[in-house]
Amino acid sequence: MRYLKLGSRNIDEFLGRISNYGDLYAPQKISEKFYDYRKVEDISQVEFNYNRTITPAKKYFIPPKHEMFEFDMETGEYTETMGDVKPFVLFGLHACSIVALRILDGVYLNEYPDKYYAARRKAGIIIGISCLPDEYCFCNLRRTDFVDIGFDLFLHELPDGYLIRVGSERGHEIVDENMDIFEEVSNDDIENFKKFEKKRHEMFKYEGSFDNLRYILELTENSPLWDEESEKCLGCGNCTMTCPTCRCYDVQDLPDIDGKHGKRIRFWDSCQFRSHGLVAGGHNFRETKKDRFINRYVCKNAYFYPLGTSYCVGCGNCTYFCPAGIDFLKNLIKIRDVVGEVAHGEQ
Amino acid sequence: MKIGIHGLTSCYGCQLSMAVVKRILDVSEKFDIKYFYMLSSAGKIEHVDVAFVEGSVSTDEDEKELRMIRENADVLVAIGSCAIHGGVQSILFSEGIGYEEAFKTVYGDKKMDYNGRIAQPLDKFVKVDYRLPGCPPEEEEIMYYLATFAIGSWPEEKDYPVCAECRRAGNPCILIEKGEPCLGPVTVAGCDARCIKYGIPCIGCRGPVSDVSWFDSLAMSFRDRGMDKEYVKKRMAIFASRYEGLNEMIDKIYGD
Repeated sequence: MRYLKLGSRNIDEFLGRISNYGDLYAPQKISEKFYDYRKVEDISQVEFNYNRTITPAKKYFIPPKHEMFEFDMETGEYTETMGDVKPFVLFGLHACSIVALRILDGVYLNEYPDKYYAARRKAGIIIGISCLPDEYCFCNLRRTDFVDIGFDLFLHELPDGYLIRVGSERGHEIVDENMDIFEEVSNDDIENFKKFEKKRHEMFKYEGSFDNLRYILELTENSPLWDEESEKCLGCGNCTMTCPTCRCYDVQDLPDIDGKHGKRIRFWDSCQFRSHGLVAGGHNFRETKKDRFINRYVCKNAYFYPLGTSYCVGCGNCTYFCPAGIDFLKNLIKIRDVVGEVAHGEQ
Repeated sequence: MKIGIHGLTSCYGCQLSMAVVKRILDVSEKFDIKYFYMLSSAGKIEHVDVAFVEGSVSTDEDEKELRMIRENADVLVAIGSCAIHGGVQSILFSEGIGYEEAFKTVYGDKKMDYNGRIAQPLDKFVKVDYRLPGCPPEEEEIMYYLATFAIGSWPEEKDYPVCAECRRAGNPCILIEKGEPCLGPVTVAGCDARCIKYGIPCIGCRGPVSDVSWFDSLAMSFRDRGMDKEYVKKRMAIFASRYEGLNEMIDKIYGD
């Protein structure tokens, strides 16, 4: 891999340069405690040190609500309305967010190719940034705390700038075209990079592996924990909306009042909503709140085979943004202990 | 296609919203409007394909009129919080205050030429086919409902709360961040979380999400943030006093 250094004095210049490649979006402080990705109008607003954003980066590839096409009910023809997606730069993604996008790729590019997703993904330049975990983070248990693929550039914090890993052809092009703002990596930089990585590892609250969780969950569907925890649930969908890998959507046809035309729209759905499992004849795969509650735990802990990781990347968003204070991680730890006798032999 | 737009006891805000949609001319071209009291007093109740009814049943006359509308309509749509949930005026229901007492408090010994009652939603009396929520409904949804009927289809009701639209909109969550008494988690979506966008906690004006509003969970969330029972009960009852089990759900969290 190619390594470069970006000195502190060149950071603003770097942001200016990358915005030449397309509209720049980056984490910004949007309220007292929260951050979110926003279009950068003023580079001083770009946040380098943040823990999580209230909307995951998926919003740039699967918009929360978007029009797919317009249709004519008389001729039965339809017209695509998305048009060309202009190149854009997404700056400041943490490792878990980049893994999350790769999980979405697996579903939207490989499993069921989706042209809307593909066009946006192609247009997006991804620049990652290192981070230190807070008490909600457990990406280490998910093995998503470090990425080696899925970004164009990745910035690792140093005391006097950033060590940059170049992760794609486009990444090489960007650095080649801007070599005047980069430096060679020195021995001190390498030592500082290692120190940062060590510090990062030491800050995680939990150690171990969650690789057996899927099966433990399947074996403990009768645990009283699910009654207790789902009872607290609001069914509001905050957990799935803020989840970087939740990707369910709903599709709706909106006819025009003229009775001749219409448009088809697509928007974020959630397995926490009753209609998510509703099918013809009024049957529902997940009739109760408890069914819907367990569904998310099982779904998130299932394996995403192409990457060998779970669908959960351990970002902590679902806990941090739950208005009911339901702690996803604590519940997972608890459920492992509930079946301690069974699980012990496996550990 | 013939439609009627009716108002029982209410502020007539829903009808007004329907009267001022930007494409009202297209609507009037597409539909044969048989009754729309707000626009013309000439209409009379006759057979229509779809009847839209605003307001709650708050008098004997309301009930009589509603039954007549139902008998003459193939499809009946309850529009707005009053028609769907009883509205603000049914708040007395959850407080256990009877009509006589309420009347006396407001009007003293005055006599009225109608028989009033504590407000009730339409479905206590007649079958409601679809609900168009809002206080008043959003233009986008009014047009969607009308357009689906125009092509012989029907509208898909939202069964998820304001939170979903709030997250889609990228707003900060003011319940988590500031402990605001936001009713977004139990209120049916459709407003694109307009109030929260301006930092104002949701008051629940669109009414609860039918059957899946967990007031107990939200009461717990409010209690844990230091709100007392009376306050929470009053706030939740403004637009949801007729929601089944509301008081029980609050009692469960706070105790009787």
